Amino acid sequence: MSRPSDVLDALHATIVGQDEVVEALVLGLIAGGHILLEGTPGVAKTLACRALAASVGGVFRRVQFTPDLLPSDVVGTRIFDQKTGEFATVFGPLFANVVLADEINRAPAKVQSALLEGMQERRATIGLQTHDLPAPFVVLATMNPYDTDGTYPLPLAQLDRFLAKVIVRYPTRDEEQAIVDRFSGDEPALRAGVATLADVQRWQREAHGVFVDAKVRDYAIDIVRASRSAELVAHGASPRAALALVALARARAYLEGRSFAAPDDVRDLAAAVLRHRISYDDRIAIEDGHPEDVVREIVGSVRAP
Amino acid sequence: MARPRRALALALTLAAALSALWLPVEAQAQGLRSLHVDALSMRADRTRVPVGETFHLAIHARVRERVAALDELVVPDVGSMHLLGDERHVSAGPGGTDIVETLTLEPTTPGPFTFPAAYFDAIDANTKKPSRFAANPVRVVVTAQAVYYASTRTVLFPLVARVLVMAVALFAVLALVVLVVALRGRKRIPVVPAAAPPAPVPAAPPRTPRDEVADAFRAYRSAPADGALRRLRAALFAAAGVPPGATLRDALANTGDAALRPVLSAAEHAAFGPARARDDASRELSDATEAWLR
Repeated sequence: MSRPSDVLDALHATIVGQDEVVEALVLGLIAGGHILLEGTPGVAKTLACRALAASVGGVFRRVQFTPDLLPSDVVGTRIFDQKTGEFATVFGPLFANVVLADEINRAPAKVQSALLEGMQERRATIGLQTHDLPAPFVVLATMNPYDTDGTYPLPLAQLDRFLAKVIVRYPTRDEEQAIVDRFSGDEPALRAGVATLADVQRWQREAHGVFVDAKVRDYAIDIVRASRSAELVAHGASPRAALALVALARARAYLEGRSFAAPDDVRDLAAAVLRHRISYDDRIAIEDGHPEDVVREIVGSVRAP
Repeated sequence: MARPRRALALALTLAAALSALWLPVEAQAQGLRSLHVDALSMRADRTRVPVGETFHLAIHARVRERVAALDELVVPDVGSMHLLGDERHVSAGPGGTDIVETLTLEPTTPGPFTFPAAYFDAIDANTKKPSRFAANPVRVVVTAQAVYYASTRTVLFPLVARVLVMAVALFAVLALVVLVVALRGRKRIPVVPAAAPPAPVPAAPPRTPRDEVADAFRAYRSAPADGALRRLRAALFAAAGVPPGATLRDALANTGDAALRPVLSAAEHAAFGPARARDDASRELSDATEAWLR
């Protein structure tokens, strides 16, 4: 029987550094939530997602979001089969265990909404029929923060459906040397099948049973509530953020083999839960503030139990 | 008779002035938008600005409706200042729209300057009447470095020198008085044999974090309730050198005492672990603390 730490090791065998990203992907898998990755091109966002899908032996699909993408390109469509004289359903890339939505903000709202509906409901409607998406089902979406011309920013309500948003940073010098050494020739094979889809579903059930003490729960709630009255914040995080923070804390405890969530879990994961759920006041531009600093201040303003 | 006539003339003049102020708003009422205006404010990012340096004057309006722009907004006259930039941001959300107009300005002449209030005319959606909404005026002081240095040299330096001379003179007089009093006093004071110094009392050794842990542990062992556990955990974290509100990772990172690490982890388990495993966790904490105290 595999453990989630096996998947973590498999990802580390492929990805150089990016500990926070790798951990967030595994936590998303355990908590059954979707993860948004933000980073410049070429920092291993796609590779990390492919490595994750390979490690659990699931079906992996990648959708490159572009301005001319249609909802049917993601969800699927019904086509007329001339041989049988009937309409047949062709399932789109959404019907996979790990879906990589590359540059999600490059497609118009209609396509984003089709994807996000599937993320929320775990079902998709093609024609008149509604189909369940496979389980486990995880969407990993990427966004490039700089090249924003011609993009369609995701509204807060849709961003709220992502369990966490992780910033994929540039590697350190040592890491960059290791990347060049490891990937200069043929791309190394991904470590496939270290766990099964049945394992993942078991992890999700067991992680749900991880104990969260009332003090730890209240700490998570206090951090989310602090986001609503913080300086330079126009709209704070919703109660869904508190749910996400507790779910991630449980997943982290499970990943580390603990039977209980600790204040460290909440504090470490709070920024990833909050950063995409907050909208900022216009004064942040005038006062030359940085959203990451605001989030850090929110988390630091609440005393751990 | 003269007094009532003067009063009447004054009232007429006042009425004419008021109607002149009101008329433009009334006349334009047909073209005005109906808005719920929640806020209109103006502020500068610097209140003292040297000539030649730039600063920003930001006007912030918030209306409850979703609007694409607020073209009615009249920005204040900036006098002789150079207007280097005028940027307008509009952000609409579910609660309304924020409009922020930022002027980048460079003052050219020194002295205080008050920006008159920015304003706009609209039909107040609360009262359904045409109204003028105005922000607060903003005052900045424009300084000139050359004038400042000149005044420092010509005014401030002589003043400081005079104060120093006076202080030295006063000190000399006081020292003289103290000397005279001391010389006279020496003749009059009778010699008294000095009292024997009190026997030295041994000072209590300062309490260490280990003492605090020992006390908290005794209290926890006699009644392992939540309060006693919190006190013991706090004492252990203090022994690790971290302040209240720190987490286990902070404590583990901060302490150089390898023997303290398992005690800290046991305290975390006892404090946040599931109720069904609390007895085991409590026993584990007691054993680990006892071993560390030994």
